[in-house]
Amino acid sequence: MLDEPYRWVEAIRNRREYLADQLEGASPVVGVCYTDGVLLLTSTPGPRKVFEVYNQVAFAGVGHPADIEKLRKAIIDIAHVEAFNLSASDVSLQRLVAFGLGPLMKAAFDEIFRSPHIARVIVTELDPSDPLETFYTIDADGSFSPSGAAAAVAGTVDSAAAILAYLKGRDGSGESLTDALARALDAWAVGRVFAAREADKSSEDDEVAPTTQDDLATAVRDALVSGRIEAAVLDRRMPKKTKFRLLPAADIEGALARFR
Amino acid sequence: MDSGDFLSILKERGQLPGAAEATQAVAQNGAPGMHTEGTTILALRYRDGVLVAGDRRATAGNVVVYDRAAKVLSVDDRSVLALSGSPANAYEIARLLEISFQHYRRTQLQELSLDGRLRTLSRLLRDNLPMAMQGIGAVVPIYITHEKDGPQAGGRIYFYDVLGANFETVDFCTTGSGSPIIRGALYFLNRWERPFVERDEAEALRLVLQMLETAAEFDTATGGFKSTAAIYPQVMRVTGDGITDISEADLATHYAHLQVGG
Repeated sequence: MLDEPYRWVEAIRNRREYLADQLEGASPVVGVCYTDGVLLLTSTPGPRKVFEVYNQVAFAGVGHPADIEKLRKAIIDIAHVEAFNLSASDVSLQRLVAFGLGPLMKAAFDEIFRSPHIARVIVTELDPSDPLETFYTIDADGSFSPSGAAAAVAGTVDSAAAILAYLKGRDGSGESLTDALARALDAWAVGRVFAAREADKSSEDDEVAPTTQDDLATAVRDALVSGRIEAAVLDRRMPKKTKFRLLPAADIEGALARFR
Repeated sequence: MDSGDFLSILKERGQLPGAAEATQAVAQNGAPGMHTEGTTILALRYRDGVLVAGDRRATAGNVVVYDRAAKVLSVDDRSVLALSGSPANAYEIARLLEISFQHYRRTQLQELSLDGRLRTLSRLLRDNLPMAMQGIGAVVPIYITHEKDGPQAGGRIYFYDVLGANFETVDFCTTGSGSPIIRGALYFLNRWERPFVERDEAEALRLVLQMLETAAEFDTATGGFKSTAAIYPQVMRVTGDGITDISEADLATHYAHLQVGG
């Protein structure tokens, strides 16, 4: 039956709906540049969501924890085999995504008798050869796109777009980590509020109401009740080969204080 | 369950350097006539940690192939590998070890234990056994680490045989073709002069440089200090603060104090 083109297209459409439904409530991950590097920020009820991939590459995802783990393991394996066969300087984000994670996620999505990865992924590289490829976001169907100063993945495409609209026009130059944390946290809250209002819409034609500072504060407080804010940086000032650093709670607290 | 074992991943993908294939090729075609080897490596525990040193010469038979070879390689933030034997295999083993430890830390979200690291090196040496048995690729490493906590905290020195067995040494360890020349002297100094572990860095460092010069005097495969060509041995300190190179400027000062001209 699935060898009929119409059935196959229908099956793929069903998968898209299934994935959209599964990912809808996911907490966004926001990526921004700042003076000394790149920051990834999200909220989590417990398990870690932001990870080191290679010396200058970091990964975060939204979706099913087991699928995020599978994808994290896959990209780490690819990076290290590449580093072994070639060299550390040949491990680039563009190649990891275009020839590694992207095709892997697309293959799982296309095989309709296999479970797709219920995940959206954001990966970032510190100082890539092309500054417009600092971030890549990869959707559950394997489609990926690069971006320069900021990126986001969220439960819905529109919610991610709302985050990017909030971040638009700032490239992070001259910005301290403290300021970048505050900006990323605000952007995360914008995405969270947008997604909640989007879900409450009674019809597709309804406009999503504008977001106020109180709305953002409520979203952050809610996240802190059920979990914690997690953030990590790729910091070019780190004296080691690896530039990844998971931020301790004390560092994040500065950005959270105004919401408590 | 995923064990985070990088060597298994390479084997699954057929990308681990093929000792078996190399052995087969050697059996069919005969071993190449020349391979580079010969060295003096020395590690000793002093008051603040461990000093690790190696001369810079690589030889093939009675030919000096290279006079600036690096034989002391940092593996991660707390450990180094000092290598004597076939450089090609030694470098490959050091590289695999470094990437294996990184891969484990990143996939498993924890550091590989000291026992796990020692075992990984054993496996690499066992995989290299066919090459060693052919007489063209033996590698005899010393693994030096400074553990932050736990029952094995502090500076540690482990040496291996070509089959992969590892042993911990308490005071000092030396390998390579120049090692028999200085081993007795090191034992004597540590036992009847003053234990190395009571010596400060300057005193320990001068002793290390003297020993390398002694080995170079009697072993043609060990290179001595050459001030005219600015060829200094490699010396690293492995302490609780991490791994740092002793700079050539510092080495020059110590050589001047020892009145070694080179």
